[in-house]
Amino acid sequence: MELVSPGLGLIFWKALAFGIVLIILRKYAWRPILSTIKEREHFISNSIRHGKRIHQELAELDATKEKLLIQAKEKASEVIKQAKLDGEEIIQKANRQARQEANQIIEAAKNSIMAERKAAEREIRQQIILLSMDVASKVMQKEFSDQKRNDEFISKLLDEIQLN
Amino acid sequence: MKGSKNRISYFDAKRAGIVLMLVLFLASPCLAKLEPGAEESGKNDGKEKKFDAGKVIIDKILDAYEWHVADFGDIYISIPLPVILMYEGKWYFFLSHKFHHGKKAYKGFGIASEGSKRGRIIRVLDDGKTPDPNASFLLDISITKNVVSIIIASVFLCILLITVARRYTHCGFKKAPSGLPAFLEPLILFVRDDIARSVIPEKEVERFLPYLLSLFSVIFFNNLLGLVPFFPGGANVTGNISVTLTLAMFTFFTLHLFANKEYWKHIFNTPGVPFWLKLPLPLMPVIELVGVFVKPIVLTLRLFANITAGHMIILGFVSLIFVLGATATSMGLAVAPLSVVFVIFMNFLELLVAFIQAYVFTFFSAIFFGMAVPEEHH
Repeated sequence: MELVSPGLGLIFWKALAFGIVLIILRKYAWRPILSTIKEREHFISNSIRHGKRIHQELAELDATKEKLLIQAKEKASEVIKQAKLDGEEIIQKANRQARQEANQIIEAAKNSIMAERKAAEREIRQQIILLSMDVASKVMQKEFSDQKRNDEFISKLLDEIQLN
Repeated sequence: MKGSKNRISYFDAKRAGIVLMLVLFLASPCLAKLEPGAEESGKNDGKEKKFDAGKVIIDKILDAYEWHVADFGDIYISIPLPVILMYEGKWYFFLSHKFHHGKKAYKGFGIASEGSKRGRIIRVLDDGKTPDPNASFLLDISITKNVVSIIIASVFLCILLITVARRYTHCGFKKAPSGLPAFLEPLILFVRDDIARSVIPEKEVERFLPYLLSLFSVIFFNNLLGLVPFFPGGANVTGNISVTLTLAMFTFFTLHLFANKEYWKHIFNTPGVPFWLKLPLPLMPVIELVGVFVKPIVLTLRLFANITAGHMIILGFVSLIFVLGATATSMGLAVAPLSVVFVIFMNFLELLVAFIQAYVFTFFSAIFFGMAVPEEHH
C-alpha cells in the first residue's frame, strides 16, 4: 500500500519544481528553439520553391532560346530564298531588257540599212538614168536640147521606174 | 500498424516481466525461510544480517529521508536531508540523521517501519516505535531523496536546454544544427511532428507544444536518471506515484484550462447519441464525466507501474544472488552470472521503456489536448 499512496510533500515539491521548469523552459528554451526551427523550415522550403522556380524559368528560357534560334534560321533561309528569287528575276529582267534593246538596235540598224539601201538604189538608178540620159541625149541631140523638158522627162521616168 | 504491433509485443514482454517478478516475490520469502535458524537469530540479536528481498526492493523503490550512497561493512554512508514538518501549527526543521536511519525517534517523530505509511514520518508514542493513534494531521514537506533528485534533474535540464537554445539563437536558422542541438533536435521534432501535430488540430499545436516538450523531456530525463544506480541517480522519481500523479494533474488542469465549448458539449450533450441515453437518466454525461477523471488516473498509474515494475525486476535479479547466497554461498555464486546477464538485459529494456513511457505519457496528454480543442464541426 505504501507504494501506491501519494505523499503530500512530494506532490508539493514536484508541482513546484515542474511548474518552475515549465515556465523557464517555455520562455528561455522552447520558444527560441522552436522559432529557430520554424524559421529554418521556412527558409528551406522557400529555398526549394525558389530553386524550383528558377529551374522552371531556366527551362522556359531555354525553350524560348531554341524557338528563337529556329525562327531565326527559318527567317534566314527565307531571306536567302527570296534573295535568290530576286536575283534570278533581276537577271531575267536584265536579259529580257538586253534582248529587247539588242532587238531594237538590230531593228534600227535594219531600218537604216534599208533606208541606206533605198537611197543607194535611188542613187544608182539616178546615175543609171543620167548615164542612160547622157547616152540618149547623145543619141538624139536634137530632141533633148531643151534642158527644162529634159529634167521633167527624167523625173517622170524615175517615178515610173520607182512605181515598178 | 507496425508501431502498434511493436507496442503489443513490448507489453507482452512487460507482462512476462511482471509475472516473473511475482514469481520472484512469492519465492523470495520461501527461499529466505529455507534457513529458519538464520531468520530467528536475526530477529533475536539484530546484529546478524538477514536478507529480506521483498523489503529491500520496496525500500529501494520508496522515497527516503536520506540519500543512501553505499555500505562498506559496518560503515553506512548516506547524505542526510532536511526534514520539514508542520504539526499542530508548529514548524519543525531538522536533518534526517537525527532519526539514525529510521531507528530512533526525534521530537516525537519517527519513520514508520510498516503499514500503509511505511517509510514516511509519523507521530510516534514515547517508546519511539509505536504510531500515535491519536495523532492529528501531519504536514510533511521534507526535502526527500526524490525531491533532491527532482531538483538536480530540473536544474540540469534547464541548464542543458537553455544552453541548446542559446546555440540556436546564436547560430541562427541558416546553419544546420551541430553538437548538442543536433542530438536534441530529432527528439524535439519527434514530439512536435509525431506527437503534437498528429493528434492536435494544427492551429492549436503552438499552444500546447512547450508543455508537451517540457513534459517529455522531464519524464525522459528522470526515467534515465532513475536507471543510474548510484548518486546522483538512483532515486525512483518517475516510479513514485506522487510524482506521476502531479504530472497527470498538470495535464488535467492544462486540458481543462484550454478546453473549448465543443469539449464540454461533448461531455454533457454528446452528439450522435440517442436522447434516451441522456434523458431522463443522464447515462452518457455520467460516463463521460467518469472518463474525465479516469484520464489522469490512467496516466498516473501507467507511468508509475511501468517504471516501478522495471526497477523491481532489476532489483529482483540482483536480490536473487543474495537470497540464494544466504542459503548456500555456492548457489549464490552459481546464479550470479545469470543474474548479471538478466540485469544487463533488463537495463537495456528499461532504457527502451524510459523512452517509450515518456512518449506514451506525452502522447496521451496530447491526445487529451486534442480532445479538449476539437475543431468546430457546425
